[in-house]
Amino acid sequence: MARQVEIEGLSSELPFAEAAALVVETRAGELLRHSDGVLDTGAIEGVHDMRVATRRLRAALEVFAPCFPKGARKRVLKEVKSVADALGERRDRDVAIAMLSSVAESLPAADRPGIRSLIERYRAEQLEANERLVPYVELERIERIEAAVRALAAEARAAVGSGGGEGGAS
Amino acid sequence: MKARKIKGTDPAGPLAANAARTVKVRLAELRGFVPRALEADAVGAQHDMRIAAKRLRYVLEVTGFCFGRPAEAARRRAKHLQDLLGEMHDADVMLPQLREHRRELRGQDAAAIVRLAGDADDLDPALAARAPHRTAYRGLETLEVYLLARRRLLFDRFCEMWDGAEQRGVWDALERSADRALDESGG
Repeated sequence: MARQVEIEGLSSELPFAEAAALVVETRAGELLRHSDGVLDTGAIEGVHDMRVATRRLRAALEVFAPCFPKGARKRVLKEVKSVADALGERRDRDVAIAMLSSVAESLPAADRPGIRSLIERYRAEQLEANERLVPYVELERIERIEAAVRALAAEARAAVGSGGGEGGAS
Repeated sequence: MKARKIKGTDPAGPLAANAARTVKVRLAELRGFVPRALEADAVGAQHDMRIAAKRLRYVLEVTGFCFGRPAEAARRRAKHLQDLLGEMHDADVMLPQLREHRRELRGQDAAAIVRLAGDADDLDPALAARAPHRTAYRGLETLEVYLLARRRLLFDRFCEMWDGAEQRGVWDALERSADRALDESGG
């Protein structure tokens, strides 16, 4: 699984809003970094890593909710959730296929046709989910999300008069 | 499952105090599913508890350093809980899909056998041996037994894990750390 990036400059005494800005900027950067190569059904870790990145960004937007303008935060959260849902549809099939393939390997040959027939069903669903995923992982869309998150971070800092900003997160 | 609102947060206040309020609410949410989720058939409560574990885990991933070692122990437990409950959920999702798949195969086979019978007065039982999916049923039955058994095993592990965490005071220690952070900030 993708390791989360440590957030430089985070401390327990930091104003909540400044911490919020640092965390969401970092998490949005992680989302962007993991958005490449997820449509390859032969390399299922890509979808998993990007999905984890959406979860972490969603979690940050929820944990630090009071620091952001309500309407703008909800719009970003909705957009991140739609990406996460599309990734989840693919991921669920990836996991089912991997699990069933492993079970089939462990069973006698006579048991395998039935399990293979179920795998075929999931493979068809995996391809459909992958097609539906295409617009959700386009670079432009993810860059729009990242920009919207950076705007939220700027508003959080401005609201408490904290300087923050320029590359505080790593 | 909708997350409970956190009261008393202050964007200008220190991270530790705000995080403490969040951790206390998320921890109470998680613990609120017991004892119901420790019943084998409480699928809904177990599913919601997984989401509560995930929420606690993610808040601890970002703010755990404010609460010292108890937060790291609790984060690990929350992740373990999330994983176990997630695998149980996967089995709960796959079992009806498997049954639906088997039902569809049976329907297709029955239709195929009727076609094979043609205009015969009655159905020759020997035709059933020519059903196109006849070799699939054994594996699907075996898989169903495997999924049921694995779910039971995971559920037992989940119960043991929860009891172990309570006995070791994992959640109580986190609660005390969060209370301390609130006291120190005057909250």
